[in-house]
Amino acid sequence: MLSYIIRRLLTMIPMLLVICFLIFVGMELMPTDPISYMVGPEQIANMTPEKLEEMREALGLNRPFIVRFFEWLGGIARGDFGYSLTNGQPIKDIIAAKLPATIELSLYALLISTVFGVFLGILSAVKRGSTTDSALTVLGMVGISIPEFFFGLVMILVFAINLKWLPIGGRTLPEYTSYWQQFRHVIMPATILGISMTAGVMRYSRSSMLDALNRDFLKTARAKGLPKWRIYILHGFRVALTPVVVLIGFRLPTLVGGSVVVEQIFQWPGIGDAFVTAVRGNNYPLVMMIALLTVTMMLAASLIVDVLTALIDPRVRLE
Amino acid sequence: MKRLVSMLMVVALLMCVFPVLGEPTNSNQLSDPRVRKALTYAIDMQAIIDGLMQGKATEAITMAPPGDWRADDLTAYEYDPDKAIALLQEANWDSNRVLDVVYYYGDQMTVDLLTAIQAYWEMVGVKMEMRKLEGDLASQLWVPPSDPLNGPSAVDWDLAYAAVAALSMGDYYDRYQGGYSSNSYNPQDDKLDALIAATNATADVDEQIKAYHDLERYENEIQVNIPLYHQPVFIVQSNRLDRGDAPYGNEQYIYNWDIVNWDIEPDANGKKVLLTNGGPMEFFETPFFNPGFLMSQKVLFDRLIIADENLTPKYPGLASEFSLSEDGLTFEFTLRDGIKWHDGDDITTDDVIGSIELATKAVTNPVLLTTFKAIEGYEDYASGAAESMSGITVDGNKVTIKFANINPNVLLTFTQFAPLPMKYFKDVDPLLLQQADYWQSPVGSGPFKVKEVKMGEYATFERFEDYYGGQAKIEEIRMYPSGESDANLAKNAAAGQVDYAYTKSVEDVIALEQMDHLKVTTVDVRYTRLFYVNKFPQK
Repeated sequence: MLSYIIRRLLTMIPMLLVICFLIFVGMELMPTDPISYMVGPEQIANMTPEKLEEMREALGLNRPFIVRFFEWLGGIARGDFGYSLTNGQPIKDIIAAKLPATIELSLYALLISTVFGVFLGILSAVKRGSTTDSALTVLGMVGISIPEFFFGLVMILVFAINLKWLPIGGRTLPEYTSYWQQFRHVIMPATILGISMTAGVMRYSRSSMLDALNRDFLKTARAKGLPKWRIYILHGFRVALTPVVVLIGFRLPTLVGGSVVVEQIFQWPGIGDAFVTAVRGNNYPLVMMIALLTVTMMLAASLIVDVLTALIDPRVRLE
Repeated sequence: MKRLVSMLMVVALLMCVFPVLGEPTNSNQLSDPRVRKALTYAIDMQAIIDGLMQGKATEAITMAPPGDWRADDLTAYEYDPDKAIALLQEANWDSNRVLDVVYYYGDQMTVDLLTAIQAYWEMVGVKMEMRKLEGDLASQLWVPPSDPLNGPSAVDWDLAYAAVAALSMGDYYDRYQGGYSSNSYNPQDDKLDALIAATNATADVDEQIKAYHDLERYENEIQVNIPLYHQPVFIVQSNRLDRGDAPYGNEQYIYNWDIVNWDIEPDANGKKVLLTNGGPMEFFETPFFNPGFLMSQKVLFDRLIIADENLTPKYPGLASEFSLSEDGLTFEFTLRDGIKWHDGDDITTDDVIGSIELATKAVTNPVLLTTFKAIEGYEDYASGAAESMSGITVDGNKVTIKFANINPNVLLTFTQFAPLPMKYFKDVDPLLLQQADYWQSPVGSGPFKVKEVKMGEYATFERFEDYYGGQAKIEEIRMYPSGESDANLAKNAAAGQVDYAYTKSVEDVIALEQMDHLKVTTVDVRYTRLFYVNKFPQK
């Protein structure tokens, strides 16, 4: 298994290089401009072309794109992640400040979607063809179909503005002294993000469980008169778990990049929000670093899922 | 006979210099004032304001908004499609031409407004297509042609929908001069240039007003561009906040809003905390370019002079005394004794002078920059031939600034210009001023100082105990992050998270006015939306 892991890690390097190059090309083709973003469209008419040119030169934007790419790559190889074009801050500091917020949000969302998705999926499979199954199927479709921003705005209207039970947004406030005070802020965004994923996990778990329930060894277990819960949980669920783990494993890195909408609605100071701001301003050093981080997490998740699958399912061998 | 000949020569010369009004000056039909007037007559701007903006704007007939600075005998080109058709026929308008209209705003209001105008113009036989510009806006919008008189145009649009947020009247009109660095649309017009020069040739306010009236009459006569509407600023405050006798003015700039005497009901913890927007997203914005767009720029930094709500320079600020000579060429001020930065260090004349010098090399508001560039010795300082500007001299706390030429905005400049503590900028490239570490937690001179910053989450400010104007009644200000345009304003206000803010968004105001705990005050300001009309021959 160790040689397999090393081999996979080595193949990740060229993949990362190619993906980074493609993202850099994409940034270059984007119709955005750091100077227009920083100065603002109304104010830019007040600046002389000479001043604008001096700013471009000072920010290094006049150098050929390929030179900038390899400079960025060289910096990464040396452990220098560069500086944000807009605020001059080290990118490692920006990511260190923003990433924990996104990971916090993502983990809660993953927890919500996993617990509810797996439980409701199994329930739906066990009660196959019943009213419960039909209702859960409809709910799943609703969960997938309604966009996050709509759910988010409805929750804000109900729980923050009308009932005033939860804060409208943000992650923390100056007067908080414990994490539990801060926890109120994560409830709405994590629920929205979790709900949008629950339906997928639920449908996947249901299919997987139904597949497992039709296996011969479960029929044997039933014939032997084992209690139902034991059949479902200890025998059926264990087999059904493998594809669900694959799905959940792949969800974590996509959550980091996929929480953009929720972060914007709930003013959550995460990496998604920073990513959108950076893309708008063509702040390429920051965009590239966040993209590199997300791609690395995706590739790492793929490897971890493979390893976990092998550990859970003895039939799977890593070669 | 000799006299008659000389008179005819003068007339001939004038006809060469000033093209006859009502005729195109080149091959572009948009250079014909009749076409520009027809396009204006064809738009029912008042109906658009009433319908789309629910009456929350004022129809513009010139760049200058209503008030003392606007001439009162201007022609309002009120909606008259028949007149528009007649003028277009007179000008032989090419009905096959499709006007290329560009814009850069991303809001729905802009699209709705341009769609309405498209329909109005269609009714008089003028076709237009609109497109949103992205990316490097300066190179697409504001590149002047190499020949400022004959062109051809260096940009590829016919009309650009844009706005001017003017600090001074010069912000509206200086850009119209032939050869101006961002003038991509007006071919050189000697009469227009002479009228603009007249507005800048005096420091006397009455004379300035008269010069602007003359300029506006000519602007109105030839319809240089197409002014559409003046947008007010809407100031929002909660019923917890009491601004006392503080006036309401142009919140985009700095004026005597007297925040030290604002009061607010204590919160559940018994603390007087003001909740607002304008906190830093990635950094605190320097006050050099946009002096007061954001709340943080207002409370952190004080200015030498304080303006009233009409932005007229009136009261002493960091300067205990100030004066401008009658000829407008010498400005003197005395820095207050014992004033301090938030870190406890003294504010010195070196800080003030160093800040002026820094501003000349940084990205600075054009009104401020033009004033500083007029200081004696600027050229030598800028070229590196001198280490400082010879026109600035110091005697104790008294600073004298001599100008090489008249600048009409000297006092206004010093109501907006914020001196900075220069010790934090020793190794900073002025062009990358905004990227300096200082802007992560600035040390200022205003009535509130930074207490805590969680960048992108919140920023809190506490009273500055050594503030020369006394301690503020409000104990703490808490800002959530936002730019000038705050997408979360209505939402946060509904949740009780806003005690004070300002906006120019009509959509937001309509929502905010329906909230019982908020009061909205409308203030007319120098903010005009218009079509720049590209009158140069096409490429």
